[in-house]
Amino acid sequence: MTFSDETVMAYVDGELDDAARAALEVAMRTDTDLAERVARERTLRARLHSEFDPVLREPIPERLLAAANDTGAKARTGNLIWLKRSAARDWSWPQWSAIAASLVLGVLIAPMLRHQPTEGPLGIRDGKVLASGALAHALSEQLASNQLANAPVHVGISFLSRNGDYCRTFMLRDRSAVTGLACWEGGSWRLQALAATVQATSGSGEYQPAASSLPPAIQQSVDALIVGEPLDAKGEAAARGNRWRP
Amino acid sequence: MSPRNVSAELVTLLPRLRRFARALTRNLHDADDLVQVALERALARAQQLRPDAALAGWVFGILRHAWIDELRARARSERVFATEESGHNVGDAGQGAQAEMLSVQDAMGRLPEEQRLAVALVLIEGFSYKEAAHVMDVPIGTLTSRLARAREALQAMLGES
Repeated sequence: MTFSDETVMAYVDGELDDAARAALEVAMRTDTDLAERVARERTLRARLHSEFDPVLREPIPERLLAAANDTGAKARTGNLIWLKRSAARDWSWPQWSAIAASLVLGVLIAPMLRHQPTEGPLGIRDGKVLASGALAHALSEQLASNQLANAPVHVGISFLSRNGDYCRTFMLRDRSAVTGLACWEGGSWRLQALAATVQATSGSGEYQPAASSLPPAIQQSVDALIVGEPLDAKGEAAARGNRWRP
Repeated sequence: MSPRNVSAELVTLLPRLRRFARALTRNLHDADDLVQVALERALARAQQLRPDAALAGWVFGILRHAWIDELRARARSERVFATEESGHNVGDAGQGAQAEMLSVQDAMGRLPEEQRLAVALVLIEGFSYKEAAHVMDVPIGTLTSRLARAREALQAMLGES
């Protein structure tokens, strides 16, 4: 009795019915060629498993556990986030932020730099965009857990980045109405991302943060950098107490 | 809210979803990004899931769709981010296989996408032909012929050792 390749594959894949499986197993005892064909298929399976099964034993990344438990994910367009992340990874993060700075930030930054060259919220040093003036002060001193409602800078979340730096989101409550992310690098708050603030439609004419809604570009930057959870009030105070040295 | 705890079921599937995504993308970060997209889409559509439906096949199907979407987006933008093999070597399976012994990852990378999916679902994830055909949205005969061609190509590329 001869067995087709299809039958051999179905046998290895557990797809044969009892009778066909028994017939093949009986034949294998005497048909060395058939036994060899089965062994070849089993070897292939084993090689694939030894290549990919170690993934099963890896710790599950926090972000995936969070995503599996996130009932609020409905509103998100996951694919967009993913594509941007891929882009960010292929270039190194500093390159990416430099490119983002030239493409996106330029539009937002230019007026701020020009308005108040000495006391504006942002400055450029060695090609890096750094927080300055009131923004730098607020990032270093202001606690999200304890800030005035009408402070010119509103500090959002603080977290430890995968580069080992403390990072904080902020919102400027001036005409620029931007939200940004800055990380403490080498003694300065270096800007990572900046975007137009998501505004609540309050009608009051003032810029107000829509509750807990970071602009998508900032959220993506946070997601790309954050390790673990944002700091709680205690962690934030402790980080400030240590002058943002991790 | 769905009466079944989809989140809890998804968490138990995470190791397998990551393995499946790794076999498709052959890149740690792309794979986890893909799983994340699939999780988000699955939760957004959890209402559509019938109470008695098998979650695994459903989620693997969502992940497969997300991957195809990503490949199309990459082709559209003509930018290839990470898996340079996925594009220009499609159809090369077999060619040059005699010349060198390839790693399992490289051999998988040289398979056409549909064949790689078939291998990942049946040979790695252990789905039945019926389940795998359902995930891939093709008749069982199409699945088995893809599997057969994929096996032949992999055996040729990997040698007999």
